[in-house]
Amino acid sequence: MKRLSLLLVLVLIFSINSNAQDKKFTSHSEKALKCSNCHSCEIPTKENPCLIECPREELVTVRQSPEEGPEVIKINKLRGNEDLYKEVVFTHRLHSEMAEMSGGCVSCHHYNPPGKIVACNSCHNEERKREDVNRPDLKGAYHRQCMDCHREWSGNTNCDGCHQLNNTSLSKEDLVAKAKAKTHPKIETPDRIKFETPDAEGKVTFLHKEHIDLFGLDCQTCHSNEGCVKCHDQRPEQMKKPRTVEIQHQLCSDCHDTDDNCSSCHNDKEPKGFNHLVSTGFDILKYHSKLDCQRCHVNQGKFTGLNKSCSSCHGEWSWSNFDHKVTKIVLDEMHGELDCESCHTSEDYSKPTCESCHDDITYPEFIPGKRVK
Amino acid sequence: MKQSRRNFLKTSAVLGASVVGLSSAKPTKAAPQNILSDERMGVLVDTTACIGCRKCEWACKKAHDMPAGNIESYDDRTVFEKRRRPDAKALTVVNEYQNPNGKFPLNVKVQCMHCDHPACVSACIVGAFSKQANGSVIWDTDKCIGCRYCMVACPFQVPAFEFEKAWSPDIKKCDFCFDRTKTGLLPACVEICPMEVLTYGKRDELIRAAKEKIRLYPERYVNHIFGEYEVGGTSWMYLSSMDFTKVDFPKLSQNPAPGVTEAIQHGIFAYFIPPIAIYALLGGVMWLNKNRKHESHGEEE
Amino acid sequence: MEHFFKPTPIQKKFFTPIIMIVSVIALNGLIFLLGRFLFGIGAITNLNDQFPWGIWIGIDVAAGVALAAGGFTTAALGHIMHRDKYEVIIRPALLTAMLGYTFVAMSVMIDLGRYHFIWHPLIMWNGTSVLFEVGICVMIYLTVLYIEFLPIVTERFIGRVNLPGFLKKFNNTVDKLLRFLDKGLEKTMFIFIISGVVLSCLHQSSLGTLMVIAGPKMHPLWQTPILPLLFLISAICVGFPMVIFESIISSKSFGLKPETDVLSGLGRMVGPLLLIYLAAKLIDIVVRQTYVYLMEVNTESIMFTIELLLGVVIPLRMFFSRKISSTPAGLFIASGLVIFGVLLNRINNFIVAYTPPYAEASYFPSIGEISVTLGFIALEILLFRAFVMIFPIISVPQKVAPKTKYAIRGLFK
Repeated sequence: MKRLSLLLVLVLIFSINSNAQDKKFTSHSEKALKCSNCHSCEIPTKENPCLIECPREELVTVRQSPEEGPEVIKINKLRGNEDLYKEVVFTHRLHSEMAEMSGGCVSCHHYNPPGKIVACNSCHNEERKREDVNRPDLKGAYHRQCMDCHREWSGNTNCDGCHQLNNTSLSKEDLVAKAKAKTHPKIETPDRIKFETPDAEGKVTFLHKEHIDLFGLDCQTCHSNEGCVKCHDQRPEQMKKPRTVEIQHQLCSDCHDTDDNCSSCHNDKEPKGFNHLVSTGFDILKYHSKLDCQRCHVNQGKFTGLNKSCSSCHGEWSWSNFDHKVTKIVLDEMHGELDCESCHTSEDYSKPTCESCHDDITYPEFIPGKRVK
Repeated sequence: MKQSRRNFLKTSAVLGASVVGLSSAKPTKAAPQNILSDERMGVLVDTTACIGCRKCEWACKKAHDMPAGNIESYDDRTVFEKRRRPDAKALTVVNEYQNPNGKFPLNVKVQCMHCDHPACVSACIVGAFSKQANGSVIWDTDKCIGCRYCMVACPFQVPAFEFEKAWSPDIKKCDFCFDRTKTGLLPACVEICPMEVLTYGKRDELIRAAKEKIRLYPERYVNHIFGEYEVGGTSWMYLSSMDFTKVDFPKLSQNPAPGVTEAIQHGIFAYFIPPIAIYALLGGVMWLNKNRKHESHGEEE
Repeated sequence: MEHFFKPTPIQKKFFTPIIMIVSVIALNGLIFLLGRFLFGIGAITNLNDQFPWGIWIGIDVAAGVALAAGGFTTAALGHIMHRDKYEVIIRPALLTAMLGYTFVAMSVMIDLGRYHFIWHPLIMWNGTSVLFEVGICVMIYLTVLYIEFLPIVTERFIGRVNLPGFLKKFNNTVDKLLRFLDKGLEKTMFIFIISGVVLSCLHQSSLGTLMVIAGPKMHPLWQTPILPLLFLISAICVGFPMVIFESIISSKSFGLKPETDVLSGLGRMVGPLLLIYLAAKLIDIVVRQTYVYLMEVNTESIMFTIELLLGVVIPLRMFFSRKISSTPAGLFIASGLVIFGVLLNRINNFIVAYTPPYAEASYFPSIGEISVTLGFIALEILLFRAFVMIFPIISVPQKVAPKTKYAIRGLFK
């Protein structure tokens, strides 16, 4: 009896599993992926999926935040009896924070299909002596991931940057101090950045804070692929590639016209920052300040050509379709059913005028209703 | 004089027989082990992954009981200012080359290539070198007479000699850690390499893997596996991001290094026929001349 | 009155001013040689991992073997072709070859890192190794040369054995042994003479094959699959000039009249041989299209040109001129040039053409190497002089008809 139930459970688990597999199979083809990312042949079949070994492709688009990962990982999978080096204490959170401005998680977890993070050793063999030599073993994979960045920004390939010799001469205090010294200082968000532009006339002052606060850009929008070398570059001069004008302007030209009109950015004067009222004559501070730019400027990258009149966006308003409460004034019965234009004579429905009906009162001494919060 | 024709023929026959006997005995005894197994192992060196940490140099010395020094001293990168070669004190060295197209300089480890058709095995006067079934080319220090012909023969200029030793100097070269691999261990350099620049495996598997790498990352590698065909193939093979001549690899043909020499050698000594033929010819000439002289002398007398 | 020539020990003072200088050179070489055995090869040579072979191999061994070719060429001429006219030069040539090969063996010995294992090739065979073949051939040939020389020893001592002191009682035994040897050798000498020629042909050519395996490490002007043929022809070419050269010098040194008639007879044979060699060389560089390397000016192209012009073309012209090749001076210069050409050819093949891929600087022999090489040559001269004073080697005109019994050994008379 017991056996039978066990069998039943097994069958059940199996069928669920295979169902799940089927589901995945049908769904993954609908993703926005190129088939050739994973399959080496043109028409993969179930029998012969001709999968590429370890596709180094970004399969997840979700960005996990650094807080979601563990803070510290001790890398000791490869510990043996006669190790030269101690284990590596890997500050995972710190590194994922640093990775925020580069590729994010995928800059290390290069094969990262949806679901749980795939452990390195599920693809990379812990044994160096092995049959399948197409992928590096675990030791190689670890070191390649670390060294690719570390040697780039520090120019240093010393092993004790990450792990100490087992018979190290350093004391425990030294080691602690050394580990502490390794933490990266907090990355500050500058208000404005001045770019020296030796090849072009006029320095560029970039209003960093305004781009974040006013235009709501998050860090990754611009800092999407920045390695450590962005700041720490130990490479000899000849190793660095000269950046073309196009590359230098690339980030700006997504929003700004960088082909003409140079002086709008290349300008030795300190810019005042962007003011919708001053630049366009349309004050967005009162009612539109919380909107994304795209709410009104629907054509991406195009910020001109909008009409200042409310009706160009909102259509024709009348007492029946406008809830005056949003202006924090509820109209009394006398005024409640008047046409809007009876009081708001200007196009932008700003300050009302009382003069068309009343001789002796003015707004805002007199309020045609009552203020609400 | 009493040197008769019979005497001449008799002695010639004895000599001829002994030479034939010698030649038939020769092939069984006269060749050092030179196995080209399908199962032979190799190493694929992916120079694009090498960081130049030189731990392989340290491990190599440790494994061969040579003075290795402090492992931390190998972090010194100033040695890269000069091109180094393996010598009697270091069987493998890593060099560094500036790479104008890549993020990093290119580090290239140098050691014996363990040819499939080794010139040293063919050349060694006493057959001290041998090619083993697992691919390694090793040498027997008890046989070596120190003639250094292997150094002349090697197309990669690898064998080194202890010139400074007065008594019993030795030839030194990478032996593919033959003593370690015999017991199932990996070669010392392969084992220690942090980046697995050195992939150890069956030679044909490695070639397959190397081709796949080149196919997947054409921007990372030049389309050339050095050692796949050079001098008839080598057990150690290299991938590089730069042309191999720019990282000090010799330009070699696909013909095995000892090929021409062995063809000449076997031509001259084909079953000892040419030497015996010359011998017979000279004997004949000598005999004819003798008779001619004899007759003229006879007439005089 | 008819002149009879009979090999006779020369009666002269051993030391002359020139021989004193030669002795000093020999001594200097021996001192450096001592340094090599005490402190190792690296201490007194400029050899390194890039240049494993220097002049000890290039000159002492390779050129030494070539220049000792007089032994087998005269043996072939005198014994096999039975040109009796040339019998007078067989013994000096034999002595030169014997001493030459002895010093070749000694040079190999000092160049070997593990000279105490020099006997290894006798029992450890490698059939694919050219060096093995050369080594075995040279070892056997050296033995053959000693055997060929033995009759001269028996001739000198039969009936004249006079051991000092208590060894006196063995006088009779030694005399018997010598007579036995003499008798045995008389019957079998032809075997050794033919063997000597065959062995010479084999290792003279294989010496050329030695460098073929260096492949692209050798400059294409010299690197050719027909190197063994070129080595063999050039060795045959240099055989007679070497005999001429050395005969004229020893005549001068001992105050004898040079055998101009015999020597110019030899000289007449050199011309055609040189022509064959030149043709082979030229066809080689044309067929392999390596003459393009002669268009550039560098050490290799200059050395190649000198080797061919001075060492082959000019002596070729000289030997073909009846006027020049009938005077001792003309013969001396022409022979000297051929010797120089072959010497340079061996140096070029083994040293100049050898351009290893990772050399930091090119090789030039150290003072120690040069000293030892010169020292060996000096020793050879001294030994030659000593031998011709002890043994009947150089033929001197005789008043009376000689006893023929021990005149020339191993011939069918």
